[in-house]
Amino acid sequence: MTNGQHSQVPPDAAEAREIDAVLSLASVPPLPEGAAARLMARIAQEPQENKVVAFAPRRAAPPRSALRYAAALPLAASLALGIYLGAKGTLDFMLPTVITGDVALSEDAPDDLGGVGEADAYAEENLS
Amino acid sequence: MADAGLLEAAAQGSHAAFAEIVNRHFQPVYRLVWRMTGGAADAEDLAQEAFVKLWKSPSQVREGAALKGWLMRVASNAVIDGSRRLKPSALDDAPEIRDPQARPDAPLDREQAARLVDARIAALPDRQRQALSLVYFEGLTNVEAADAMEVSVDALESLLARARRSLKDSLSAEWRDLLGGLAETGR
Repeated sequence: MTNGQHSQVPPDAAEAREIDAVLSLASVPPLPEGAAARLMARIAQEPQENKVVAFAPRRAAPPRSALRYAAALPLAASLALGIYLGAKGTLDFMLPTVITGDVALSEDAPDDLGGVGEADAYAEENLS
Repeated sequence: MADAGLLEAAAQGSHAAFAEIVNRHFQPVYRLVWRMTGGAADAEDLAQEAFVKLWKSPSQVREGAALKGWLMRVASNAVIDGSRRLKPSALDDAPEIRDPQARPDAPLDREQAARLVDARIAALPDRQRQALSLVYFEGLTNVEAADAMEVSVDALESLLARARRSLKDSLSAEWRDLLGGLAETGR
């Protein structure tokens, strides 16, 4: 490299180039002879660790029985009977009047709870 | 066959597949360990450890494409963790082998220069030496090296910059001599 060329190289780049050049002087160690064979001989004596985790076998489910559905029919019949009797009121006498009695109404309740009846008065500006 | 396929076969216990992995990657891993230990006699044993670890539990490598980086990481971390590298004093820290007939200020020959640079690299802090070895000597990209060192690319670049600066500072006395020797050999 001539001086003229060198002056065009930025200082950082020139320094980086110098460092690269010096690094290229470092030794390149050769692989010792037989190293791979020694490694494989060692590997041959090393067992591999288990790669599969052995889980406990799952317990077999007991055989299903048809009896497991035996309760379904009485339960359905009970539901239907309850709906029927409730609708007919046949057994209402057995229930407290709080449930079966009439709904209490207040005689003092104003007829016009929402104030809609006064809308006309507001429209005519009789009220403010 | 790609590394991923070899790794899968090795995981099934194939010694042939593992031998191919060794064939592909043992040399660079050995070079890395050698450089990180400053050429220690047990560099081969340390490099072997990474491969034995891989053989015992191949599932540690999540992606076959990352195999080389994984081996480099395991090997270099073993060197750092064990503080196995030789102290600089155990190396030929200075090129003492000179021809008695030669002038004291004679330029270093190629072997002396190599030993000097090796010694200065070996004296760098662990992480700087690791970064320099991975990128400069083993040709990993910055991204690959950062992944192997489990640092960000920015952190790796910072380590590289500091390593290069430290190396130049430590060789300041011989810097011109080294460059002069390179010029003479036409490099």
